[in-house]
Parts: sequence; C-alpha cells; structure tokens
Amino acid sequence: MGLMLWLVPLVAVLLSILIKETKALHVMNVVCSFALVVIAGFATKSVMVSGILQYNLFGMLFYLDALSAIILDIVVIIGFLVSIYSIGYLNEELRRGEVNTKRIQLFYTLMYSFLFTMVLSLTVNNIGILWIAIEGTTLASTFLVGYHNNKHSLEAAWKYVIICSVGIAIALVGIIFLHLSSVTVIDSSHALRWDILYDHAKELNGQIVRLSFLFIIIGFGTKAGLVPMHTWLPDAHSQAPSPISALLSGVLLNSALYAVIRVLSIVNKNLGDSQFTGNILVGFGLLSITTAAIFILTQKDYKRLLAYSSIEHMGIIALSIGLFTPLSIFAGLFHMINHSFTKAMLFLASGNILQKYETRKISGIRGLLKVLPISGFAFLLGLFAISGTPPFSIFASEVSVFLSVFAEGHLVLGSLFILLLALVFVGIAVTLFRIFYGEEDSEERKPGETNPAGAAVLIVFLIIISITGLFMPDAMKELITSAQRIIGG
Amino acid sequence: MDSYYDILSVLILLSSIILVSHKRIKSYIKTFRIQSALIALTAGIMGWNSLMEEGRFDVLVVCGIIVLLKVIYIPRLLHKTYGSVEYKVEKDFFLNIPLLILICCGLVVFVYFCVSNISGLNEDHINLQVVNSFSVILIGLFFMISRKWALGQMIGFLVIENGIFVTAMFSTHGMPFIVDIGIFIDMITAILIMGIMVMQINKQFDSININKLKNLKG
Repeated sequence: MGLMLWLVPLVAVLLSILIKETKALHVMNVVCSFALVVIAGFATKSVMVSGILQYNLFGMLFYLDALSAIILDIVVIIGFLVSIYSIGYLNEELRRGEVNTKRIQLFYTLMYSFLFTMVLSLTVNNIGILWIAIEGTTLASTFLVGYHNNKHSLEAAWKYVIICSVGIAIALVGIIFLHLSSVTVIDSSHALRWDILYDHAKELNGQIVRLSFLFIIIGFGTKAGLVPMHTWLPDAHSQAPSPISALLSGVLLNSALYAVIRVLSIVNKNLGDSQFTGNILVGFGLLSITTAAIFILTQKDYKRLLAYSSIEHMGIIALSIGLFTPLSIFAGLFHMINHSFTKAMLFLASGNILQKYETRKISGIRGLLKVLPISGFAFLLGLFAISGTPPFSIFASEVSVFLSVFAEGHLVLGSLFILLLALVFVGIAVTLFRIFYGEEDSEERKPGETNPAGAAVLIVFLIIISITGLFMPDAMKELITSAQRIIGG
Repeated sequence: MDSYYDILSVLILLSSIILVSHKRIKSYIKTFRIQSALIALTAGIMGWNSLMEEGRFDVLVVCGIIVLLKVIYIPRLLHKTYGSVEYKVEKDFFLNIPLLILICCGLVVFVYFCVSNISGLNEDHINLQVVNSFSVILIGLFFMISRKWALGQMIGFLVIENGIFVTAMFSTHGMPFIVDIGIFIDMITAILIMGIMVMQINKQFDSININKLKNLKG
C-alpha cells in the first residue's frame, strides 16, 4: 500500500509526458492527486493502528511513522487542493495566451516530480536518500519557479537553485559526519538508517554528532528558510506561479524542517539533554521572526509579504521545537499543520488577485472585496488567520507555543515572542488591509471570479482552518501526540 | 598506503588553489578535470584495496562513474555551455590573484585549527586528509563568491561537491553505495539545469554576469 505513494506520482509524471491534450492532462491531474490522498489516508490509518509502517523491500527503505505521516498528509491534501486550483489557473493563463499545451505539460510533469520527491523524502528510512530527495525537490521546482521565463523569474530561479544546492551540499557534509559517528557502532548494511541510528543514539560519538548537527541545521535550514539563509525564499515564492508558491510555502518548508527534526531527536538522545540543539534552534527561530517582522512592515509586494510571513512561521516552529518540552513539540507540530493550510490558501488567493489585477504591488490594488468577492474574502480572513487572530487555527497553536515558553520559565523569551507577533500583526494590518476597501481605480475591470473551482478550493481551506481553530479532531490529536513522543523519546 | 592518500589529498587541495588563481573560464574547466581525475584515482586505489581485502567492488564502480561523469561528461557540457556564451566573457575576478590565494591559505589554516580541536576526528594524530579535503569545500565556496560569471558559480558548486566526496572517502571510506549513486544523479541533474539556466539568463539579460541579477530586493 505504502509503496503506491511512490508509484502514483511517478505514473503521473509519465502520463503528463505522454498526454498531449489539455483536458486529458487536467483529468489525469485530479485523478492522480486524489489517489494520493486516498492512499495516504489508508497509510495514516495503519500508522495509527500499528505505530510504524514498514515493508521488507529494498532493505526496509520505506518507513512511515506518526511524525512523517502528519507531514505526508499535509503534502497530499495541499497537493490535491492545489491541483484542482491549477486547472482554473492554467486555463486562465491559456486564455490569455501566456502558456500553451506544451507548457501545461511541463507544468504538470515538474509539479508531480516535485510532489514525488517530497513524498519520497518523508517516507524513506535513510538519511542519505532523504538528502537526495530534498535536493531533488530543488531541482524539480527550479523550472517551476522560473516558469514565466522573464527576467525576474529567471533571477529568482537562479538564486533558488544556487543557494539551495549549496545549502543542501552543506547538509551532506553533516550527514557524512553523522555516518562517521556511527561507523564503529552500526553494521554497514544498516548505515544511515533512522530507526537504527535512533536506537543506538547513545553509543554514537558525541563530539562528531554535535558537529554534524551544526552542518545539518545550516543545510536543511537553508531549505526551510531560516534567517540568515533565507535569501532565496522571498524571490522564489513571489516569482513562482501561485499554485507552486502554495506548494513551496505550505509543503516544501515542512519537508526540510522534518529532516532537521529527525536529526534533532537523535542528537538530543545522544547528548542526554536539549541544551545544545535548543540554543541553536531558538536562536535561529528568534532571528527569523525578527527579520521577517521588519521586512513585513516595509513590504510593497503582497506575494513577498506572504513569503516573509512564511519565514516568520518557520521561525516560530523552530523555536517551539527547540524548547523540546512535550507541550512545545506538540505546539510546534500543530503550528506546522496550521501554517501550511493557511499559507497555501493565501497564496492561492493571491494567485487569483494577481491574475485579475496583473500587479504584485500592494498600492496597485483597491476595492478587492468588490472585484473578487470570494478570493478577496478568503484573502482577508486568511490574513487575519495568519497574523494570529481567533477563531482560526494559527491563533490556537500560537497560544500553545507561548504557553509552553512561559511554562518553562523563559519570561524574557516569551515576552519578546509576543511583542514580535504583535509587530507582525501591525505590519500586515498596516500594509495590506487597505487593499480591501476604497474605490476601484478608473481602469475597466469586470468584477467576478476567473477561477470558480479555485474559489471553491479557497472555501474548503477556510473551513479547514476554522474548524481546527475551534476544536481539534481526536485522530489529529492522537497523531500529533504520538509524533511528539517519537521526537521527544 | 596512507602516504599515497596523503599525497593525493594534498594534490587535490593544490588543484583547487590553482583553480582559484585562474583568470579564464577555459582554464577553470581544465583544472576541474584534473581535480576530478585525481579524485577518481583516489577512489580507484581505495576500490582496489577493498576488492582485495573484503571482495567489495562498489567503490570501483563509483570510481568508474567519476571518470565518466566528472572527467569526461561534465567538462564537455561546460565547454558546450561556454561555447554558446563565449563572445561575451572576458576575465572573471574582482579581487587580485595573490590576495585570493592568500585567503585560500588562510582557509586551510582555519580548517586545520578547527579539525585539530575535534578529537572525534583524529585518532592520535591530526587527520591531515580530512583537513585537506575539507579545505577544498571551503575553497569551492570561496571560489563561488569571488567570481561574477554564472559559469564560475557552476564550477564552484562542482568543486564543493568534489570536496564533499573526498571528505566522505577520507573520513568514512565512502558512503553506502545507493547513496553515492543518488548523489551522482542529483549532481548531474543540477549541472544540466544550471547549464540550461545559464543559456536562458544569457538570452534574457544579454550577459551571464550575475551582478546584473539585482531586480529582486527587500
């Protein structure tokens, strides 16, 4: 069953190369992404029943536990919603003559390679393969970032591929050191396996493990968008087509953090406490939140603003995982889920706005609620949600994060954290809320949604983030709790 | 056997310093080819040893792949990319060469001090092979930031990759085979993609000077 998770996206890649008709491509796209959701659902169910899903194939390469299942579910659900949205988005681009069938083919081919590498990175039991898969995500999405093929998108894509490849190369150094710390402990046929490394964590060479963590946090942190390695992120997120921005922000960043979290739990078990890793992660987290808050305050481009907000939320997750108490790990994972859904929704809504107004500038948009009633509404509520207003889910998880900070007695850290969140809220309110009202400028712009299916997707997202804000389904709670036990040991 | 490895690691380090001292892209490619050949030789010796002692031939396969990819295919690809943008490319550096080399030496000394403080890496004496190979990674990084043409960045990336590979060989005697293969696949894809991007950048910006990529800020 689990292996179908690898097979379906690969088949989709193959089909998008073979099919040469727009309509058939769209149908294939929906079928494949829906199949992924169903399979992941079954896989998650068996993880909840039996704890770990593993097959005796390719040297126990496939591995799914509660932690990877959570992130996998985020990937496939957002992947499914994004793929429905893409149909309307691509048709609109097709109508304007920006793309042709060949480009749509390319879009789907790359999008499914991207999904494949992400699913692969979450379901392998080998840090080496995980590294390969995460580098694969960069390679698969480079041309998606540069999809529009103009000066700006090419610049973003070049920065993306260079910075992320070099960053990831540094993570490879870390993995080599992790391997080195285990060569005398672990049999070479089990080299680099998560479960074995975790079981033998206490016997690894502590000094080298520490060194390897430094390289790994820099490397995968680049991909996760932690400051100061974040410089590719605002460019890539703002220049990519909006469905891809949603995938980059909602899904890719989590996969990179997943790698950090896995190594983190090994390092913490080896060292016996979380002081060392905690300081590093909290430091990166605070730096990310602060930098993002400053850039949000002065932002003139709404897609870049959303990108900086992703950096902020990655900082929050890093900070709460870094504290490493049961409550804070729980809050961090919960926040990861909420951020993904909210941000994916915002990027999709911003795609509709961009297609309507044809500008990324905040100052170019007025009267959004009149021109795009559904997307505008979703964008407005999404902004409230992302800046941490009740009743949305981000509020719930942010409260749990700072409760866990205060519960540990970090008064200064907690106050600073709340202050920064307030600053972000002000930033978003000041820069963005004016776009909703006001009179439309003189240009002829017909009110109405261009992408009806996309608008429906936005409503689904809104329902998801409102429900999880009000109460947490038992299954989700159970899954996060067992993931928290996996990380915390 | 260790003395062979010592010599080879020094030669690999030397080749990356020579690379930094070059002015023209053609000579970068040549030096990169020599460096890759040295790495292939190292892998070959290691592979031969492991075949004799343990009967494993995976390191020899890796050696073959290095020869095919890094000594033959990638330099050819780089030449092709270079050929298509050649008429616009002149000298490529903005610090003077002696200074660049001094900085590289400084990097080696820095790595020596770092490595000598980590007892896990050194058994009873300081592991010079790791010092040399790790310096190659840093020199590759430095090479990337000291050049302004996109092709220079590609070669810097390849040198980093080379350095990582040598570090893996000298410190752990190679990663698991499947991981090695995967890394090669990733690397070749990365270089292909960067090659295509260089051509596109050349078309759009009328230059491959990455200092022109300055539109996205803030």
